[in-house]
Amino acid sequence: MGRVMAEDAFEAVVGAHHAEIRRYLLRITARGSDADDLSQETFLRAFRAYRALPPGSNVRAWLFTIATNLGRNHFRAQGRRRRAYAAAALELRPDAPDRADGQVLADETRERLERVITGLPAKQRLAFIMRKMHELDYSEIGASLSCSEESARAHVFQALRKVRRGLDGHLPIGMESRS
Amino acid sequence: MSPQYPVCRAIEPDLLSVAAGEAGVAAAGRVEVHVAGCRLCREELAHYRALEGMMDTLRRAPLPDDDATLARAQLASRLADLRSRLVGFGIFSSPLGRILIGRSEQGVALVQYLPARGSLPAHVQRLLGEDAVEDRAATEGLRAELVEYLEGRRARLDWPLDLRRMRSDFQRRVLEATAALPYGAVTSYAGIAARIGAPSAVRPVAQALRWNPLPIVIPCHRVIGTSGALTGYAGRRVELKQRLLAVEGVKTVAARNDFKVDRGAMYTMVTGDLEYCIPTCGSLPSQSMSTLTLFGTREGAEAAGFAPCTSCRPDLHPLPA
Repeated sequence: MGRVMAEDAFEAVVGAHHAEIRRYLLRITARGSDADDLSQETFLRAFRAYRALPPGSNVRAWLFTIATNLGRNHFRAQGRRRRAYAAAALELRPDAPDRADGQVLADETRERLERVITGLPAKQRLAFIMRKMHELDYSEIGASLSCSEESARAHVFQALRKVRRGLDGHLPIGMESRS
Repeated sequence: MSPQYPVCRAIEPDLLSVAAGEAGVAAAGRVEVHVAGCRLCREELAHYRALEGMMDTLRRAPLPDDDATLARAQLASRLADLRSRLVGFGIFSSPLGRILIGRSEQGVALVQYLPARGSLPAHVQRLLGEDAVEDRAATEGLRAELVEYLEGRRARLDWPLDLRRMRSDFQRRVLEATAALPYGAVTSYAGIAARIGAPSAVRPVAQALRWNPLPIVIPCHRVIGTSGALTGYAGRRVELKQRLLAVEGVKTVAARNDFKVDRGAMYTMVTGDLEYCIPTCGSLPSQSMSTLTLFGTREGAEAAGFAPCTSCRPDLHPLPA
């Protein structure tokens, strides 16, 4: 009986988090097929470990930790190929439909931004994406990367500095006042 | 552009926090005071604010390839498969020692005699892998029926079986033929080989039975050597085979490191016939064991649906008890 209930609860976990975890993996791998595989693997692992998860745990942060570890293993296995894939994916990217004329972020700037993020060292990139794209807090990011909250913040700030340098001359200052 | 003055370098982390909207009151105050008098840092703050704005836009922008439908469907089917393979197990003491019973969604997947010594968790993990979970509630009913069986109070274990642990189609055929042996009957390895249409495969039959994942339930203890020797069971625990047969009314005599079924003391029939005989009926004494099925008792033969032979009349001239 206990297991049946746990399984129903796990269905709810999949429903609540699968799309976001896949999006996270898509951002860090830049490949839909990798995001498909790794998101499935994340939830299969989570299913096996779910019954041992203490009640009241932060399930979302726990899933990010599993996905992050799988992502890092994936990068290690793929080695240098990852950057080639990411670059190719950016080049093949179709234009997003119905882009408004007043689009604040120019395509060129956006591509440059994504390229700079892709070029960050792995931990900084993952911390940056978790913070800026998925709004995890620093303690959750620290847990995902097996480091302290302070280190997680340092990774994000270091990434911010590099991104800001990488976009030198492309940052539309005063953008807020135009919107 | 990196800050040039020590005071600017010192304020920079606060500046990043302010741009990200994460700064506390004190840090926000420090930044406000500093940028009021430092043009470079004012610009720097504007840059970081612009960057935060871009990140915000990027976060909201649709992602190419952001379609989780396929992954979600594949995940659902892999989870269903994983669930159906998940084995819940219970470990119980029984008249034959400690026994593990494992069941999946499909049915009973594993019955194992456990060693008296050694690390149990390691042994269980070797048997079932890491996904197994102890679930006494799910196996308690099975345990109760098994104990009734071992105490001779039950002749059948009508359990749904999960046969996915079979090693091959050959093993499946061997175990199906074995499962069809009636309670209280014995036949030989060669007899099973003949039944599955592979009369020369006696040793492979013995191997297939050696890896029976469901001993007792699939009664490999009812299969013996053509000499009548029990020959082996559960590693070197042939005494368990002797006890299981004794429960079913099959008498054995001790032999060197083994036990033996005495053909001359068993009701006998040619496999495939409908009548059972005393062992001296007609040409039976000269028949090969591979063609025979033996019963310890008349009750056993009749419960299995066989009639007494009309020539030797075992009903009128029973074997000495």
